[in-house]
Amino acid sequence: MSLKGIGTPADQARLARRKRIGQIYRIVTGIPVVLAVLLIATLVFDVTTDTVSWHVVEPDNEGVNLSFQEGFRWFGTWEHVVTQELEARGEDPAATLGDAEERRKFGLRNRVELLWSLNGQPMRWVVSNSRDDRVASYGWFEGNRMHDELLAGLEGGEQLRLNPWLDAAFFTKNASRTPLMAGLINALVGTVWVILLVILISVPIGVGSAVYLEEYAPNNWMTRFIEVNIRNLAGVPSIVYGILGLYAFVRLMNIGPVVLSASMTLALLILPVVVIASREAIKAVPPSLRQASYGLGATRWQTTSRVVLPNAVSGIVTGVILAVARAIGETAPLLMVGAAAFIPRIPDGPFATYTVIPIQIYSWVGENDPEFANVASAGIVVLLVILVALYAVAFYLRRRFERSW
Amino acid sequence: MASQAVPKDHVTVRTDPIPAGEAVVTLENLSLWYGDFQALHDVSLTVPKNQVTALIGASGCGKSTLLRCVNRMNDLVPSVRVEGQLSYEGVNLYDGAVDPVEVRRRVGMVFQKPNPFPKSVYENVAFGPRLHGYAGDMDALVEKSLKGAALWDEVQDKLKQSGLGLSGGQQQRLCIARAMATDPDVILMDEPTSALDPIATDRIEELIHEIKKDYTVIIVTHNMQQAGRVSDRTAFMHLGVLIEEGPTEQIFTNPQHEMTERYISGRFG
Repeated sequence: MSLKGIGTPADQARLARRKRIGQIYRIVTGIPVVLAVLLIATLVFDVTTDTVSWHVVEPDNEGVNLSFQEGFRWFGTWEHVVTQELEARGEDPAATLGDAEERRKFGLRNRVELLWSLNGQPMRWVVSNSRDDRVASYGWFEGNRMHDELLAGLEGGEQLRLNPWLDAAFFTKNASRTPLMAGLINALVGTVWVILLVILISVPIGVGSAVYLEEYAPNNWMTRFIEVNIRNLAGVPSIVYGILGLYAFVRLMNIGPVVLSASMTLALLILPVVVIASREAIKAVPPSLRQASYGLGATRWQTTSRVVLPNAVSGIVTGVILAVARAIGETAPLLMVGAAAFIPRIPDGPFATYTVIPIQIYSWVGENDPEFANVASAGIVVLLVILVALYAVAFYLRRRFERSW
Repeated sequence: MASQAVPKDHVTVRTDPIPAGEAVVTLENLSLWYGDFQALHDVSLTVPKNQVTALIGASGCGKSTLLRCVNRMNDLVPSVRVEGQLSYEGVNLYDGAVDPVEVRRRVGMVFQKPNPFPKSVYENVAFGPRLHGYAGDMDALVEKSLKGAALWDEVQDKLKQSGLGLSGGQQQRLCIARAMATDPDVILMDEPTSALDPIATDRIEELIHEIKKDYTVIIVTHNMQQAGRVSDRTAFMHLGVLIEEGPTEQIFTNPQHEMTERYISGRFG
């Protein structure tokens, strides 16, 4: 006899009802998950497809059109393609490339591009020029659909190009008024500088506070007051930190609108999160290990440094990474403390004027030229990749140092 | 049967008291409060050198608290207050000048649940000596301690492996070796076998027998057979009061106090 048949018919009916209710809740709780996944997938899909677009271009110079193998020379690619280009235009490559100033000017107006498609040919190197005439632009799908039609409709000198915005040049060029010439390098370096200093400032202070609060602080009203307020600070809108940073760091301490004041502001912003995460990690170290250490005659600091911190480090690092990931995406407080929409040169230290990726994206989105939407999408993809990479590191660390006691 | 109240002025029944000269740890009228709650009432007890003293009693009777007084582990609990004297080789450990860190080096402790550090077997044993800046031959000390805890033969090929990878009984012996490595005189054991199976328990009990020639052992146990097997002297506590103490044989065969008699015959507790 199967187990299913156990019980009176009334019992069975009740069981069937309980199971039905379970099924309903399974569906009800599952819907938001499905919705969330769909939304994220749509966002990623939309942004990534926006980083590629079709153009009908009438080039200023006919120039070169090289296959991938013809143009690719590892780190010498740019120089190689430019040499070919200048020869094709009938100019002397040595005159341009040999002189630093001429070379810089050429770099500002021209972009070496690896097009995914050029008049139906895949993977061609061309040198785009800011004076190239863009006759028409189409999105990735629209262009794909109309490809043959567009190709047939090209008039004298026009080319149909599939242009990936997210290419090597995007990472080597600075922001520009021309979408084609716009790149991320200054914002990328700015972000690296800002985040590096954020980590240097927030980790010692945050972990130090967490250690003090967990291991040393007496359990009195003052400690509890501080604890509650750290949690409250984690919920304060970031713009408020921006105003604080503007007043305290930029003006009062007179540091000015530079990398350092941005880092200090963002460090303040993420400190509560770092403290909370570190405290949770420290709390998670079993009391039995502390007891073992004290039982062997360890002082409080020896116990903290040799037992508690080594066993809490993965949790602390995970928390710090998640907090830093938040700081990387912050825009509002940096608008307050003086991140510029455009800076002429790469930030080279804590006292350099700067911009960061989210600010750069923000300013691109506000531009009139619709092609800046593609540039912004490329920037967003870079930002997302950085964030996903950080989350992956956090995930790896959590798995790697996961312990069962 | 419900446990019954003990008069606060109860005078501990003592059989065969230890002369002061043979004592290594002496408690005199030791009282302890957790906040407002008094957990120990005027406990006086003399612990003889190189013998095993068992503390028995029902849950919550204060035997673990008493044990933790001896190496001042109770200091770690906020709101603890201690009165009375606890002398170790003639020095009052609760004197203001005594550093609990130094006390714990001389009075080692083994806990209820094996709690090796998530480090290698070697590093577990070397942890204590490193804390105190041991400058001698660490390899030799680790080997000596592991041999002392009858664990060397089983782990000599696994010194670099995690201490958490050992079986429960091996982990507990590792904890004993770890306690021995700081060269204490007294080893406190707080129900060291309660998390272990009977065979591992047996090995620990054998070990306790062996180490008492070098160490003075105070052991808290819930298991009266265990107290009977391993200890030389037994102290019975009830609700923070030391009811009776004496040679183990005496306590188990001819208890003087009515409550001791009822507890060891299993009628309460």
